Amino acid sequence: MLRLPQFELVQPSTVAEAVRALAECPGALVVAGGTDLVPNLKHELFTPPRVVSLALLAELRGIRRENDGSLVIGAMTPLAEVAESELVRAQAPALAQACSLIAGPQLRSMGTLGGNVMLDTRCQWYNQTYFWRAALGFCMKKDGTECHVVKGGRTCVAAASNDSAPALMTLGASLEIATASGKRTLALDDFWVADGIYNKQVARDEIVTAIRVPATGAGHRGAYGKLRDRGSIDFPLLGVAVRLELDAQDTVAQADVVITALAAQPKRITKVAEALAGTKPGTAAFDAAVEAVGALAHKQCKPLPNIPGDADYRREMVPVYVRRTLQAAARREGPVHHV
Amino acid sequence: MSARDLHGPGAPWGGAEPGARSNSDFKVVGQPRPKVDGIAKATGAAVYTDDLTFPGMLHAKTLRSPHAHARIVRIDTSKARALKGVHAVLTGDSMPIKYGVIPWTPDENALAVDKVRFIGDPVAAVAAIDEDTANAALKLIEVEYELLHTYLDPFESLQRKEPQIHEDKKGGNISKSVQLEFGKVEEALAGAEVVVEDDYFFHGSTHAPIEPHCAVATYSADGVLTLWSATQITHYVHRALARVLELPAHRIRVIQPCLGGAFGGKSDPFSLEFCVSKLAMVTGRPVKMLWTREEVFYAHRGRHPMHLHYRSGVTKDGKLVGVDAKILIDGGSYSSFGLVTTYYSGQLLTGPYHFPTYRFDSTRVFTNKPPCGPKRGHGSVQPRFAFEVQLDQLAEKLALDPIEIRRRNFQGDFTRTVNGQRVTSNGFLQCLDEVESASRWKERRGKLGFGRGLGVAGSMYISGTNYPVYPNDMPQAGVQLKVDRSGLVTVFTGGNDIGQGSNSMCAYIVAEELGIPVERVRVVAADTDLCPVDLGAYSSRVTFMVGNATIDAARKLREKLVAAVAEKWECAPARVRLIEGLAIDLEDTARSMTSVEAFQLAETKFDTLGSTGSYNTPKLGGDYRGGTIGASPAYSFTAHVVDASVDVETGRITVHDVWVAHDCGRALNPMIVAGQMEGSAYMGLAEALFEEHDVNRFGLHRGPSLLDYRLPTSLDTPDFHARIVESIDPEGPYGAKEAGEGPLHPSLPALSNAVYDAVGIRLKHLPFTPAKVLAALREKRAAASVPQGVR
Amino acid sequence: MRRMAEYRLEVNGDSLDVSAPDHWTLLEVLRYRLALTGSKQGCDKGDCGACTVLVDGKPWLACLTLARSVVGRRITTIEGLLPAHRANGGSGADPVQAAFDRCGALQCGFCQPGMILSAKALLAKTPQPTRDEMREALSGNLCRCTGYTQIFEAIESAVASELGLKPAARAWGAPPVSCAARKDGGA
Repeated sequence: MLRLPQFELVQPSTVAEAVRALAECPGALVVAGGTDLVPNLKHELFTPPRVVSLALLAELRGIRRENDGSLVIGAMTPLAEVAESELVRAQAPALAQACSLIAGPQLRSMGTLGGNVMLDTRCQWYNQTYFWRAALGFCMKKDGTECHVVKGGRTCVAAASNDSAPALMTLGASLEIATASGKRTLALDDFWVADGIYNKQVARDEIVTAIRVPATGAGHRGAYGKLRDRGSIDFPLLGVAVRLELDAQDTVAQADVVITALAAQPKRITKVAEALAGTKPGTAAFDAAVEAVGALAHKQCKPLPNIPGDADYRREMVPVYVRRTLQAAARREGPVHHV
Repeated sequence: MSARDLHGPGAPWGGAEPGARSNSDFKVVGQPRPKVDGIAKATGAAVYTDDLTFPGMLHAKTLRSPHAHARIVRIDTSKARALKGVHAVLTGDSMPIKYGVIPWTPDENALAVDKVRFIGDPVAAVAAIDEDTANAALKLIEVEYELLHTYLDPFESLQRKEPQIHEDKKGGNISKSVQLEFGKVEEALAGAEVVVEDDYFFHGSTHAPIEPHCAVATYSADGVLTLWSATQITHYVHRALARVLELPAHRIRVIQPCLGGAFGGKSDPFSLEFCVSKLAMVTGRPVKMLWTREEVFYAHRGRHPMHLHYRSGVTKDGKLVGVDAKILIDGGSYSSFGLVTTYYSGQLLTGPYHFPTYRFDSTRVFTNKPPCGPKRGHGSVQPRFAFEVQLDQLAEKLALDPIEIRRRNFQGDFTRTVNGQRVTSNGFLQCLDEVESASRWKERRGKLGFGRGLGVAGSMYISGTNYPVYPNDMPQAGVQLKVDRSGLVTVFTGGNDIGQGSNSMCAYIVAEELGIPVERVRVVAADTDLCPVDLGAYSSRVTFMVGNATIDAARKLREKLVAAVAEKWECAPARVRLIEGLAIDLEDTARSMTSVEAFQLAETKFDTLGSTGSYNTPKLGGDYRGGTIGASPAYSFTAHVVDASVDVETGRITVHDVWVAHDCGRALNPMIVAGQMEGSAYMGLAEALFEEHDVNRFGLHRGPSLLDYRLPTSLDTPDFHARIVESIDPEGPYGAKEAGEGPLHPSLPALSNAVYDAVGIRLKHLPFTPAKVLAALREKRAAASVPQGVR
Repeated sequence: MRRMAEYRLEVNGDSLDVSAPDHWTLLEVLRYRLALTGSKQGCDKGDCGACTVLVDGKPWLACLTLARSVVGRRITTIEGLLPAHRANGGSGADPVQAAFDRCGALQCGFCQPGMILSAKALLAKTPQPTRDEMREALSGNLCRCTGYTQIFEAIESAVASELGLKPAARAWGAPPVSCAARKDGGA
């Protein structure tokens, strides 16, 4: 069997203890559901002296609605629970849809929303065993200096591959983070760094405790579209989250499209709202605006040969998935997925 | 041919007319029923190799080459040996004798000697107190390599002679080359009404059984080596161990525990079997090696990539006049079954259609990639794909229905193929009828609108061959029966049950022949100390050969039982019938005794009860070099119709339904036959749509994991509709033929043909990725927009 | 660095003492410490589903679970189904296990412990699942032998037997098509 490297497992029973356990051991890593970290450990992408498990932190589980209508989802809430939650489906359909398409059924019962947000970036030259990477001569993300995706590249372009993140971005979500000195809040939009080696503004010794999703109104429409080879298990080859806000006349007032599985961070397509504003779903004007947004997205997204799958094909699918996901959102449907 | 060779289709009390018997004459055979090991598997009680643990057992790991082609300059294992907990370290010099499953091409070493030939080639092995210690020791082994030119492209291997991947091989980097011509192909094609010539490509794919390879060895103080291994060829592993370890074979025992899937991927002797054996001998302790999934991908032996060129001609009535094939086979780094693969790539295409003339020119070359070998449908899935697509191209030119062109070229039954193979029963026309009506072909084909279509393809496959891997005239399958006074009969068979149900098949046959319930038969299999030799689970030989051997043994035993009862009843033996746990007098039905009483009576009369049985093929094959390779005592036939749609925006193909009609002779258990048919069709579609076994530009496997090598999930798999066709073979056990490999073949071409019906593009290069579909659609649109005159 | 941890796991209703290093997965502890070898290892790292167990009734991959992280949770392995069924007054194997046997859903049998546990989790939530629900629920369990059809039939058969219906046999359709009797002998 492919073995885990040796480490000490610490299982605190409070968040404060957990933060302490991280602070006192440089190089310690957090594990939530383990569905990302454990394979990465088996690949020796990390060899931490200590792993701090959040498994016993019951306080980090559950979904609740605040008085202001926002949803607070505990970081340790399993993805399956997020996907099936009536609250999330009603208020944040794109998030529920994205979570319903993450990996396969077992990984959704183990994997957590916090864990998916914190997912390591992925690359075909990186998510491999130590033997394989050694035979390659390693890559800049781990143990090496070269990038095998972009010849002569200086920045790691491993891909953000978390399905939940683009959905959360369209929803204006933020993270609640426990740190050694207390707590802080970070908007998902400010979470990213354009570096595939570590693409997050959350330090290794900080713990995401909750995800806050602002309230949405009756005019909110959202959907998620996912391109992958199989109907289950696979990471996204492309992930498209969309949001539409309709006014009282059912015409588009606001719109947002965020695309993931491109490079180190998800990409928000610009000029989407301008294109769609004032059109009414179901009309030719809306359809034309959707086409235009697809074209914008195609122009702005350039998938790289970082994750498996033909990069040109992934690019070709950008406008298709943008269009289909926008139309699905407008019809209160989705997710957009081939099965 | 001796009496033991032919058992024919009848039940034991059968009349003179073999083919006439219906399933209702049988009490066990022909009915869906559970397998003998089903409940053990369902409850987790079944014991697979990695489930075995022995006191003091050590764990072994393999150091592998990080280079695709290199000379080993120096290996230093001293630091590894010095690590606390390490008990032994082996390198190639400890087992220098080469082996290979085909005795003519031994080119493998358990651990590399002098050279490594692909990334993942085993170089050293460590046994330690636990896996972590063994892994730590691997990192302490120093190997210095001198890098050599790496071959990743088979066309380069064909041209370039130096450096040679195998230096002792004559003729550069060519592994095997076969040119055979039957009749005058050029003349025939010159007279054809229509000739289609085209190129096809079959990518590589691998077996990916869910159980990784595992082996455990013990070496007793008195010098007996016992190996438990996840193998489908116990007997060949036995022979290979004796050769490489230089031990007399009688001091080696090989046991195959319950096996978690194989599909041809466990039909070579593998490095780990030699390593755990040698390590057990060296350390005096039990040693286990369980390969990681990544290592299983390196061990490979999967389907060969093939570049196929076909040229076929037909008359204006659509009758084939000649077929001409040129095939380049990418063999990877070792021979494995490659000699056979090269022959099979040509020899197995000559049915179910009549080829008046035929020629093939197949060459297998070495490259520095994981070695290819036999995967379900060995050597014939690739040419079948190319030819069945070409047949549709021919039909199109003649405006013939694709099913009709296949009917018109049907070779018939009890005939001989152009390359001299004897064909017996042949239910191919019935297969076509079945899929045609079940799919509502006539109403639906070409009428489903743009984007959805139906496609058909046919195939044939062997039920074993008369080519034993090493030449000998001994039986290919042997079975021994032992009777207990309790009424229990134990079957001892060398046959390897790899999940296909061969142990169950033996139990059904014994129960049928002796008229006892299946529950009173126990099967002990694939243990070289206990069981007579069977050659193994490959070439779809087990039902046919082990089945016949079992009938042979059971009938000999039955004869004794009947004689003892007849003597007691003072009647003619013909009056005694064994049925439903009883011996009854057919002429005085009031007179009966239990089978337990009959067994005891026979033991009293004859001595300790038991019997042996065996099977050997009759003399078969064409009278030319290689003419016996692919010569089978019986061929199975299959037809598929695939219903698929294409999303023209994403290029994604969705398969909705597959109708699989398969002539398996007689279905000894239709539930198991259907499972084989559906599983085969699944595996064919999987390699058409999802799976690709290949290396990247560095020669590294692209993604040696079950995440990156994409096995279809339940969401990616269509509904299968198995239609069993029974043609009752005159020599098969009760008329049975194979069912486990043939039904894979048509999946791929039928899908390609369905896509053509759906959107008018001919997919000739596997796999059918969405990107390729979109490219073909673009090409088609571009061609359509060019005015006729300009083109 | 290498530390043995001692803890207690609740497996198939028993509280079992475990002593294992921290970096052992639940799969390793089940197979190599507790001798519960029914949970299989196929892919090493969460890609195949052969090691599926139930944790508090949810399908869970033992190969990605740090063994000590499921202390205090209810773990069910394939070995637990038959005794639980007997303890509830049943006979034979668990109805789902029996249906897999009855319907030919077991070929090599290696994926089946995980598959059966995923099916149990599905049936606990959805007692009469549709084929689409089955496809979804089993989509994390790769089977290399069956093409899944007989697995779906087994679940349907288990549902039928639970409802007291006669387990639906496969619609074999017409009996196998027999070709006309052939003359004896080869060409």
